[in-house]
Amino acid sequence: MEILDSRLKFFLYGITLSVLILISGLYFFQINQGDKYIRLAHSNRLRIIRFSAPRGEIFDRHGVPLAVNDTTFSIMGYPLDLNTPAKLEHLSKILMRHGIPITVPDLEKTIKQQRLAPYRVMKIVQNLTMTQMVELVADYEFPRELFPLSVWRRTYPAGTTAANVLGYVSEISEAELKARSEMGYTGGDLIGKSGVERSYEEILRGSPGQEALEVDARGRKIRTLDANPAVKGEDLHLTLDMAAQKLAVELLSDYKGALLAMDVNTGEVLALASSPVYDNNPLTWGVSAREWNEIVNNPDRPMLDRAIAGVYPPASTFKAFMSIACLEENVINERSMFTCRGGLKFGSHTFKCWKHSGHGGLNVTGALQHSCDVFFYLAGLKSGIDKLIKWGRKFHLGEPTGIDLPGESGGNIAGPDWKMRRFNAQWAGGDTVNYSIGQGYMLMTPIQIARVYAAIANGGKMVTPHLNKKGYKTPENIGVNPAKLAIVQKGLEYVVSRGTGSRAGRFGIPIAGKTGTAQNSHGADHALFAGYAPVGNPKYVAVAVVEAGRHGSSVAAPLVAQLLAHLLSHED
Amino acid sequence: MFLAAILLSVWGVFCIYSAAAGASGRGFDFAIRQSVWLIVSILAMLLIMIIGHHKLLEGAYPLFGLMLLFLLLTAIFAPKVNGAQSWLGFGGIRFQPSEFAKVAIILMMSKFLSRYPPLDFKTFMMCLGVIALPVFLVLLQPDAGSALVFLVISFGMLLAAGTPLKYLFGLAGIGASAVPLLIMFALKDYQKNRILVFLDPMRDPLGAGYNVIQSRIAVGSGGFAGKGFMLGTQSKLKFLPEPHTDFIFSVFSEEFGFLGNIILISLFSVLLFRIIMTGINSRDRRSKILTAGVASWLWFQMFESMGMSIGIVPVTGLPLPFLSYGGSSLLAIFMALGLVASVYVEGASSKHGI
Repeated sequence: MEILDSRLKFFLYGITLSVLILISGLYFFQINQGDKYIRLAHSNRLRIIRFSAPRGEIFDRHGVPLAVNDTTFSIMGYPLDLNTPAKLEHLSKILMRHGIPITVPDLEKTIKQQRLAPYRVMKIVQNLTMTQMVELVADYEFPRELFPLSVWRRTYPAGTTAANVLGYVSEISEAELKARSEMGYTGGDLIGKSGVERSYEEILRGSPGQEALEVDARGRKIRTLDANPAVKGEDLHLTLDMAAQKLAVELLSDYKGALLAMDVNTGEVLALASSPVYDNNPLTWGVSAREWNEIVNNPDRPMLDRAIAGVYPPASTFKAFMSIACLEENVINERSMFTCRGGLKFGSHTFKCWKHSGHGGLNVTGALQHSCDVFFYLAGLKSGIDKLIKWGRKFHLGEPTGIDLPGESGGNIAGPDWKMRRFNAQWAGGDTVNYSIGQGYMLMTPIQIARVYAAIANGGKMVTPHLNKKGYKTPENIGVNPAKLAIVQKGLEYVVSRGTGSRAGRFGIPIAGKTGTAQNSHGADHALFAGYAPVGNPKYVAVAVVEAGRHGSSVAAPLVAQLLAHLLSHED
Repeated sequence: MFLAAILLSVWGVFCIYSAAAGASGRGFDFAIRQSVWLIVSILAMLLIMIIGHHKLLEGAYPLFGLMLLFLLLTAIFAPKVNGAQSWLGFGGIRFQPSEFAKVAIILMMSKFLSRYPPLDFKTFMMCLGVIALPVFLVLLQPDAGSALVFLVISFGMLLAAGTPLKYLFGLAGIGASAVPLLIMFALKDYQKNRILVFLDPMRDPLGAGYNVIQSRIAVGSGGFAGKGFMLGTQSKLKFLPEPHTDFIFSVFSEEFGFLGNIILISLFSVLLFRIIMTGINSRDRRSKILTAGVASWLWFQMFESMGMSIGIVPVTGLPLPFLSYGGSSLLAIFMALGLVASVYVEGASSKHGI
């Protein structure tokens, strides 16, 4: 015990010694050298100025600029240099003289908003052009304490034509700042808010530069101590073809809906139009709360990218999928005939065929060609929902396609499990009947429909739709028997050459595809068409959805055909 | 002792208010949260006093095992904060297991060292083995600061337990010779930077040296009487990094000056002296070693945190006991004080008994 006590006493000496060391250290810094440090803290200061990096630019597949940076100037200054009404009046007078209408109250407002500390630099005027800035600085009355700072402003030359694809950038929000606390963002930085600006934020943003300055008591620069230049973000080359995109937007301009085109073998997206459109330029430059509300509360929802986030019943375009599933599961073969008398009585309900007089007897190619509903009701009932869901999963229905855009919807594959969870009700035979013609609970996005048709065109491979030229992913082969696929392909050719989609055949190229008319509980039916071309060696798939367009055959088919015709006649 | 601890903590709440007011404009928010933690901590201390250190020493082995498990979980699952994963979250409450580990280590070592006094080489090595486990687990996070505190606590307890000085000198010697090797191989770049910057802050004024320079300016410009509460320019203008945690002492020094520091250090000294005296007055081996552990812990974090603010020791990012923002740290310290208080109560009552 004695040794323990003597050791504990030793602790007391150790503590005393360390306390003396601390006190003498503090004495040295606070008393002996205190004046020096007070001077350092008060007058001579280290300032760190951050320069945001120019963002990487975005181009289409042929190098057409889609997002570029303009140089603009801001006038910066310290609150100390603007603390009297006379100084503000003087500044306002000079600004007015050079045609910049900024009044004293305007200046007071900006200063009040930004005033945090007397030594903190503020942005006094922003968005000046190079000419304006040069004129101002050349004015001998321009206050020398203020200085120009060049800043980048994002501009989208294509404006409304590709806003849904490109998205826009804007000041980082507090929530985003928190979520990215370790990625070197600070308040006021620009960040991609939607579109590829958001999905490729990491490569587009670059890294900001810093400059350490020694400044005098009024905060003016004495000299630069250290500087890291800003590094521009990487440029991004998209698969988008601006000519095709422009055509798609124009074709869709009278409607609400989506029109897109994709390479069937690679998944490269060449056109992705959503209507109505919005302009991303004002959003980037900053809009007023009122303008923002107008866009967000617009009942037509222009900021919803209908091509990837609009969900619709695939309607009769689903029959191509149904044919593959039923052929693969040997529920039907090429020669299986069903007879259509204009409807199917199932339980107490009669499910009608769109052609009330009936199609008579037909096999699968004929059923596709004439879009016979009864044929697929019977095929669906014979197969049962489980096999359809099994094939739905193979085609990744109900999952996002993985396109490199934020906000993609996965649609809804539905099925008995889903219905139990959602409505706490059993899946009924009538549900399967509806499901078989792509109505009811089944919902798909236009890009999902395009992916399914690409797989039909390319021999059964699921591509990953992408917009980044470097975004190619090896397609996944889902293993469809080529002979069975050929039956479906033939049916889709007949649709255009001699069936319901004949209006798609009037633009000089051989197309295969399928019309669709989706029941819409909110109004007139939606018109759909999914098709690929050229028949025989398909290159591109295109899908059109026209909300309240009534008939796929008359409205949607020509849109797809014109877009495909353009792509085939303007190949790389 | 209590008075000193509570005075320190209350002063700490004010400092946090001032520090966080400049850094994020949320000073009030932080101060309120810290006050709540302080009340919880005082209650925890009283609870531990009621339970008594005897009962807790009996449960030392399972507690130590539980602590190892938590450290392991942290190393595996915890999200990264500033490059290290030292937090575990349960239903909205996050805590740092490494803080509570300090208490568990003190309990464990008190029991172990009195049962197996480290008087011969074999038992000495056994003791080192026990310590190595938690040290290794926090290094995985990686949290070199906590590992260092664990080692200092253990070293202090070994010293108090009467380990022959030649072993301890040997251990210190090995430690010192391992430093260059550690710098070469084991340390992360940011840790190397901190040490290089300690040797010459101006080598990288924009980067790692920035903290040290700014902290020194903050402390130095406090002068004799300080700039006054809430009036520190260094912290308010955001020159200081992490003002409410790691660099709280710089904020304190800037605002309260040399005078304030003398009072602060005196309070710490009173507290540490009272802890050691409690150990000397106790008749129980385990209690003596226990008080040595608590004292080593508080002393080391105090010395390191204050020393780093004026640049006389390298930056480690250890909180200053009582003053730095952080509920886990405060709670763990008050739990340890609860143990010491329990030892004190026993000593006082047994004296009356004789």
